[in-house]
Amino acid sequence: MNCSNQKKRSFNIEAFKHKVVVDPNYADKTWRLLEHAIDEIYNKNASGLSFEELYRNAYNMVLHKYGEKLYTGLVSTMTSHLVTMSRCIENAHGEMFLEELNSKWADHNKALQMIRDILMYMDRSYVHGSQKTPVHELGLNLWRDNVIYVTGIQSRLQNIVLQLIHKERTGQIINQGLMRNIIKMLSDLGPSVYQVNFERPFLEASGDFYSIESREFIECCDCGDYLQKAERRLNEEIDRVSHYLDAKSEVKITNVVEKEMIANHMTRLVHMEDSGLVNMIIDDKYEDLKRFYNLFHRVPNGLSTIREVMMSYSRETGMQLVTDPEKLKDPVEFVQCLLNKKDKYDKIITLAFNNDKSFQNALNSSFEFFINRNPRSPEFISLFVDDKLRKGLKGVGEDDVEVVLDKVMMMFRFLHEKDVFEKYYKQHLAKRLLSGKDVSDDAERSLILKLKTECGYQFTSKLEGMFTDMKTSQDTNDGFYLKHGADLGDGPSLVVQVLTTGSWPTQPSATCNLPAELTSLCDKFRSYYLGTHSGRRLSWQTNMGTADIKANFGTGQKHELTVSTYQMCVLMLFNNAERLTYKELEQATEIPSLDLKRCLQSMACVKGKNVLKKEPMSKDIGEDDVFSVNDKFSSKFFKVRIGTVVAQKETEPEKHETRQRVEEDRKPQIEAAIVRIMKARRVLDHNNVITEVIKQLQPRFLANPSEIKKRIESLIERDFLERDGSDRKLYQYLA
Amino acid sequence: MRRASSKKASSNSTTSTNSSAMDLFRSATGKAATKELERIDQLFYSYSNESSGMIDPEGIEYLCSDLEVEHTDVRILMLAWKMQAEKQGYFTLEEWRKGLKALHADTIVKLKKALPELENEVRRPSNYVEFYSYAFRYCLTEEKQKSIDIESICELLELVLGSQFPQQVDLFVQYLKTQVDYKVINMDQWMGFYRFCNEISFPDFNNYDEELAWPLILDNFVDWVKSKQS
Repeated sequence: MNCSNQKKRSFNIEAFKHKVVVDPNYADKTWRLLEHAIDEIYNKNASGLSFEELYRNAYNMVLHKYGEKLYTGLVSTMTSHLVTMSRCIENAHGEMFLEELNSKWADHNKALQMIRDILMYMDRSYVHGSQKTPVHELGLNLWRDNVIYVTGIQSRLQNIVLQLIHKERTGQIINQGLMRNIIKMLSDLGPSVYQVNFERPFLEASGDFYSIESREFIECCDCGDYLQKAERRLNEEIDRVSHYLDAKSEVKITNVVEKEMIANHMTRLVHMEDSGLVNMIIDDKYEDLKRFYNLFHRVPNGLSTIREVMMSYSRETGMQLVTDPEKLKDPVEFVQCLLNKKDKYDKIITLAFNNDKSFQNALNSSFEFFINRNPRSPEFISLFVDDKLRKGLKGVGEDDVEVVLDKVMMMFRFLHEKDVFEKYYKQHLAKRLLSGKDVSDDAERSLILKLKTECGYQFTSKLEGMFTDMKTSQDTNDGFYLKHGADLGDGPSLVVQVLTTGSWPTQPSATCNLPAELTSLCDKFRSYYLGTHSGRRLSWQTNMGTADIKANFGTGQKHELTVSTYQMCVLMLFNNAERLTYKELEQATEIPSLDLKRCLQSMACVKGKNVLKKEPMSKDIGEDDVFSVNDKFSSKFFKVRIGTVVAQKETEPEKHETRQRVEEDRKPQIEAAIVRIMKARRVLDHNNVITEVIKQLQPRFLANPSEIKKRIESLIERDFLERDGSDRKLYQYLA
Repeated sequence: MRRASSKKASSNSTTSTNSSAMDLFRSATGKAATKELERIDQLFYSYSNESSGMIDPEGIEYLCSDLEVEHTDVRILMLAWKMQAEKQGYFTLEEWRKGLKALHADTIVKLKKALPELENEVRRPSNYVEFYSYAFRYCLTEEKQKSIDIESICELLELVLGSQFPQQVDLFVQYLKTQVDYKVINMDQWMGFYRFCNEISFPDFNNYDEELAWPLILDNFVDWVKSKQS
């Protein structure tokens, strides 16, 4: 506070103006004091110094405008100490070099801190005002310039550090703590020092190291081993960073390892003979595959490379499967192979490929590709389902049933020609329902529900109609016997299934003369039914029925035979005749010859089912062949089944016929789609019509552009559409 | 040789049903016009069939021989076009009048002289499309008929396009005769072929794109030619 002679004036607080005696040597004296202090600090003799005093002195210097002198002095003093230090370091031998460097660095830092504290005021005012480097930073820069950048030290430091790292990489132990301090020193000196003096050469050396190592390994290791080694190295480097490098280097060094060990050898690894990716897939080596995935995930195009190899291999093996005539002989086996294959790859993708969606998609697309290369896939899948539903699911738990059906649905989804599947499924379902055997109702319903969810109501409405018919028929039967049961007495009993045409697969009706016992019974049923449902027409489907008949053979053997209606008609004739020729049988039954021959063959030429004798004993049936009851027939079973109603793979001509019917069915569907689209758009160009039609029909089948064109022309001819007068590419809707 | 026929005094009676048309005719330039019309009518009756009142195929044959033109010549077809004749092989009085008036021909000699000019007129690109489509319709003999059998189409193609696009027609006729997919050709396909000849480079078909809206039969034709060439 300034005491002046001013009385009773308000107090003013003014800046301190110390009337100091200006001692011309003041600055020098003060500086020398401080210089001495700095020397002592560097000589580790700081304990005798008074912080207060030194601080005050520095403060005063700056206050009296001697900041510059102080600063310059600091620079030169510090520099000289550092030069001394650097000589010590230079003189250190071998391993001591780093130790020396480390300890001197520690000393310098300690000194710097104390000096900074003492010169704090200078930092805040002079330095700040004249835009000089603050003390701490100055100290670092001076260290950098006078120690690190000294020729004798700079390159030596770099080499030793890299050597040590190399040593560690070859399995030897190094002093990680020391390394950490040295490296930290470099990064404390600034990012450019760290990068120029350490990181860049480190990365380069690492690149060379791994380049050599990878080339060695790849010559002598198999794929799995190599990947293990690569993984190990990668983990090593990550550890190294965490132990003694700057965290920012992690990405850079891992990139180097990834590039040298993986990216540069990607193709060779994947395609390595006997141990590459394909072999691992074949042998289900989940661990190895997982490693593959994780490592290749890190490099550009790594995953896509793996994915493509997996896709092309699965496609290749799939194509082999669908074109192998041996595999195609047994439809159920074929589909089972498909399911097994899918399971295999699903497991690989789950366990090894991290459930990666892009892999799942690639797998699906290759399945879609080869499944549709076999034009019989829809039929075979339906036969597989038929097999499982008929007998395969007994004793299988409910959940397992669901699992199998879901897997089948997966295959179904891949099909392009879903309408073909529908046709076969209908046929096979009809056979299952009418076979008289127990059908697993729950499983059947479950599958139809899945199909409905997938394809919509229309797809399954007819199938559901078939089930309804079965149920209704049971009620009708019960009603019939309730009404007429008494009249019929001991005669043969009838079980009728009334099928609604349109829901069931169409069959051409064939002639067949039923035995007398049955005709009256059938007529009674017919009149009963038409009594309650007038206006309907009933026609007996003799080619789809079964019969249980009791037979007494010459040896006294009694059996109950389950046969088809045709077979029953033939057998009943032998109640009134010992021997009959083929011609006589044909005349009496009026069964179409192809069917009659097949039915006779099944009863005369099959071991265990030969209830008839044929002369001559050949397999072929001739006009004059003679048939008689085989009195010597024997079987260990009382009930013998000689039916021919089981669903089977179609013969060539049958297949051809089904294909034709499918093509015919598609025509109106295509036309309906075209009309729907044109009605909505009114005017549309050719290419868009094609695209839209294909899109609309895709849930059922893949429409062929030529076929669509044909339908368009047909519609033009019938005046549903016309071509635009001026733009030939456009079509117009004609209301 | 002219066919003798009793001239019906009821030339008036045939026109009683379309008197307005007659008026139109007469509304022209008086006596000279009337004279011309009379001569046209007379010419008609010299070829027409008494009972039907039309020139029938037999009459047309005579006409052709008088004109010194084969009755399968395309110029007769052009004449029919000029008349806008509806029924193949028959000309009605209306049609006859229409055609000959337009050609300014009231005698056989004049008619004959008018034929080359008629040809030129038809061959003008703007008219030719119309003529081409007329030719197809002219061959539809039954009511509700929409297509023509392959045999007839081949002949018609020769007749109508044979001079203009001989190579295309030759190849296409060959194709039509060997393929089994199509038994008849409809108007859309007929017109399509004409555009095809005009737009598509031949014989390489380089600018043909079967993904465009060309009729399917032409897609098949191009495939057939290409497979023949290789």
